Amino acid sequence: MEATREIYWNIGHGVVLPMYLLSMVAVAALAWGIWRRVPRYRLGKPLNRFDSYEERVKRMIADVFGQEKVARVKDGGLFHAFFFWGFGLLFIGTMLVMIQADFFTPLMRVNILSGEFYKAFSLVLDGAGLLAIVMLAGLFARRFFIRPEGLETSADDYRIHVLLFAILITGFLIEGARMAVTELRQDPGLAMFSPVGKLVAQLFTPYAEENIRTAHRLLWWLHFVLVMGFIAAIPYTKLRHIFLTSANAFFAPLEAKGTIATINLEDESIEQFGAATVKDLSWKDIFDADACTSCKRCQERCPAYSTDKPLSPMKVVRQIGEQAESAPDGNLVETVGQDAIWSCTTCRACQDICPANIEHVNKILEMRRNLTLMEGAFPGDEVRTAVGNIEVNGNPFGLAFAARGEWADGLPVIGMESGQEVDILYFAGCYASFDKRNREIAKSFVRICAAAGIRVGILGKEEKCCGEPVRKLGNEYLYQMLASGNIELIKGYGVKRIVTTCPHCFNTLGRDYRDLGLEVPVEHYSTYLHRLLESGRLEMSPDDFIFTYHDSCYLGRYMDIIDQPRELLAKAGGRIREMDRSGCDSFCCGAGGGRIVAEEKLGNRINVARVRMARETGAPLLVSNCPFCLTMFEDGVKTGGFEGEIMVRDLAEIVAARLTV
Amino acid sequence: MKVLVCIKQVPDMESHFKPNGSGTWFSESDLAWRMNEYDEYAVEQAVQVKEKLASEPELTVLSIGPDRIGEALKKAMAMGCDRAVHVQDNDSAAKDPWQIASIIAAYAKAQGFDLIFTGMQSQDRGSAQVGAIVAELLEYACVTTIVGFEFTGGAVTVKRELEGGIKGVARLKPPALFTCQLGLNVPRYPTLPNIMKAKKKEIQTIAVADLLREEPLSATTSFHAPARKGGGVVLEGDVGPMVDQLLAILREKTSVLR
Ligand code: SF4
Ligand code: SF4
Repeated sequence: MEATREIYWNIGHGVVLPMYLLSMVAVAALAWGIWRRVPRYRLGKPLNRFDSYEERVKRMIADVFGQEKVARVKDGGLFHAFFFWGFGLLFIGTMLVMIQADFFTPLMRVNILSGEFYKAFSLVLDGAGLLAIVMLAGLFARRFFIRPEGLETSADDYRIHVLLFAILITGFLIEGARMAVTELRQDPGLAMFSPVGKLVAQLFTPYAEENIRTAHRLLWWLHFVLVMGFIAAIPYTKLRHIFLTSANAFFAPLEAKGTIATINLEDESIEQFGAATVKDLSWKDIFDADACTSCKRCQERCPAYSTDKPLSPMKVVRQIGEQAESAPDGNLVETVGQDAIWSCTTCRACQDICPANIEHVNKILEMRRNLTLMEGAFPGDEVRTAVGNIEVNGNPFGLAFAARGEWADGLPVIGMESGQEVDILYFAGCYASFDKRNREIAKSFVRICAAAGIRVGILGKEEKCCGEPVRKLGNEYLYQMLASGNIELIKGYGVKRIVTTCPHCFNTLGRDYRDLGLEVPVEHYSTYLHRLLESGRLEMSPDDFIFTYHDSCYLGRYMDIIDQPRELLAKAGGRIREMDRSGCDSFCCGAGGGRIVAEEKLGNRINVARVRMARETGAPLLVSNCPFCLTMFEDGVKTGGFEGEIMVRDLAEIVAARLTV
Repeated sequence: MKVLVCIKQVPDMESHFKPNGSGTWFSESDLAWRMNEYDEYAVEQAVQVKEKLASEPELTVLSIGPDRIGEALKKAMAMGCDRAVHVQDNDSAAKDPWQIASIIAAYAKAQGFDLIFTGMQSQDRGSAQVGAIVAELLEYACVTTIVGFEFTGGAVTVKRELEGGIKGVARLKPPALFTCQLGLNVPRYPTLPNIMKAKKKEIQTIAVADLLREEPLSATTSFHAPARKGGGVVLEGDVGPMVDQLLAILREKTSVLR
């Protein structure tokens, strides 16, 4: 006898009609539940996330079925991924049964669920069911017994756990009951391919066939109703993430990470800049609130949240959803709160880890734009002063713009205004130009280039702040003024390649300036020096040292530059002791998002927290490659009381100290 | 009701100042320009009056100088002034406070302003005379260095700074002129819609010759960095002889050992 099974055994084909009718009701409830939310999304401004269809679909499939983002965080993530695969296989199996029973058998008279395939099918589904139950038990234990801090549990969670357990268990009970009457008696060999079902079947064997059949019918209907209930409940419970979070993988931005919409300042029809209400955000921003699974990963990683500031990216996302529901015309900025909005360092830790492809940073930026451009607000008077300084002198310190190039006095650099040929334009940025400690970065970089025979040009007093801090504070107007000045200058000199030592300049010139017409390749010195070293143009005489390395947010998370600086440091003789939070999981120094010019008045200090993490590696040296990070860490060493325990150096200083020439 | 604010564009004080060719003022190369700090308080106060009186007053901002001062006028309009008067003068830096005040008074005379605000002084010349002279020429009541301002029932109550941290309160009726001091208010940061609107507001240009009738009463004769008051002396060598040297210096140049 060929291995197969009778579909609708003990139920009869009469069930088909009511079954399909009920299924349609469930699917209709699902569709209506989702559709009903659409007007809420429509409150937002238009944004095209339906372009590049193919790429989006591909990414969605990889994201959803691969469970890559979910599983990146082992705690909870692995349980979820395996549960998903288990449950997903059961779903596929059920679909196959449906197709077989209601299409192949009546229409084509073929049976795909037979023979060797059926054996494999049975085994896989049995395993999948077991996997799903075990993983669900894990998730259950995590949520209700060993709950991680900050995990919020609602009534939904109880209902969903009960429902899923009930579906899985009734599934096995039906199988067991069927097998107790059929396979166990007629084809014990086949029963081996349903090991869990076989175990369950043994529970039934003591009973009379008639009773088993009755139980089977009842269980079958119970299982069916539960499954329909599950489908219908999706949009009305947290289960909605099955659809909405998956859809968000499709809607995820395709642009380079960190892309911010450049406001057209020539457009006189714009009356509202930034987001005062949810209606000033895009529909995707409102959709994001529905796609959020409250997994609190973003909150856990947020440097502002971890240092007791009133900002939780998860809460911001949720507040936008709530506001869209309750008061779409209400003041969103007030709901979220200025202190929360200004606390963000735009470090992107939240967005990077979010399994639901939610875009936190630009939401916060849009609210900042409203505060800055519509209300002239600042997080503090010191920021007001710094912004005024940037306006007048092109640097936040308020130092004379004419002194900007003085750091290079006596060094082998070429002023671009001389018209001489250069290999690279070194865009020094404000901190390396003016700040005493950070000038060491600029000087070291120039010395390294000289040793490698690179002709370095600088803009000197013509260079202005790249505009990054003010842009991240929401001041698009000042940013564009600064940017267009710099761009005109750079284009005028016919520059071929720009190298920066500041990751913020690097991101801004290399990505943001594109929108304003700068096409010149821009590089951070980490990768530039790495190439010089690889090509043999740069030579170092290594000497032994132990260090830990801090990934600047705007290099690591924003630009995926993680290995090159480590390799450079290794070639310089360094042995690394990694911090727990490194690479894409790095913890911000506290200076991003314009916070470099702001005092940290709320909670405790981010920079001290980070220096402490560095100290905990036992390494006596903390290396970074960003003037903002260096500033924050030098300060963190002092205010945190780590003096004499750990030193802070820039990558350029390490390399410059080991030059062979 | 009509309100006038007089402002000046000055170099940022962090700039590197060098004497100009004739050595009577600073050279304008490599300077960053901004609105005189005290004038920002004046603009802010005028805008606050306008806001309080529900847009009834018309706010005119006036400045004297070359083309570059257009930036300062635009900023004042972005902060809330309605219109600007640019007294075109490429040689404004060479005029003394009497002439500057005369120019302003010549413009303001026929306009019938109820309130005039100026900064307490300019950050570059710092004469602190222009406001008071304008009031005198227009025969307006005048209060200088105000740090508090209230307009109620058609009269103004101001607080002004006196010597030694003491404050005085004065009440007066328009027309009146006030010079504004640090502490009066926090100048607003112009919003983007207001910056855009300011671009469309009227700037009336008047040639300085049309307003200037007066000769200077004072002249700046020289502009230079203060002479270095002696240098430090570094004693070097063995401790014994250095102590002797130090004692000799103290005896000779100071009275500490006498
Ligand atoms: S970008 Fe960084 S600081 Fe801002 S909310 Fe996200 S994690 Fe927090
Ligand atoms: S925003 Fe993303 S990371 Fe944060 S709780 Fe929601 S799903 Fe999780």
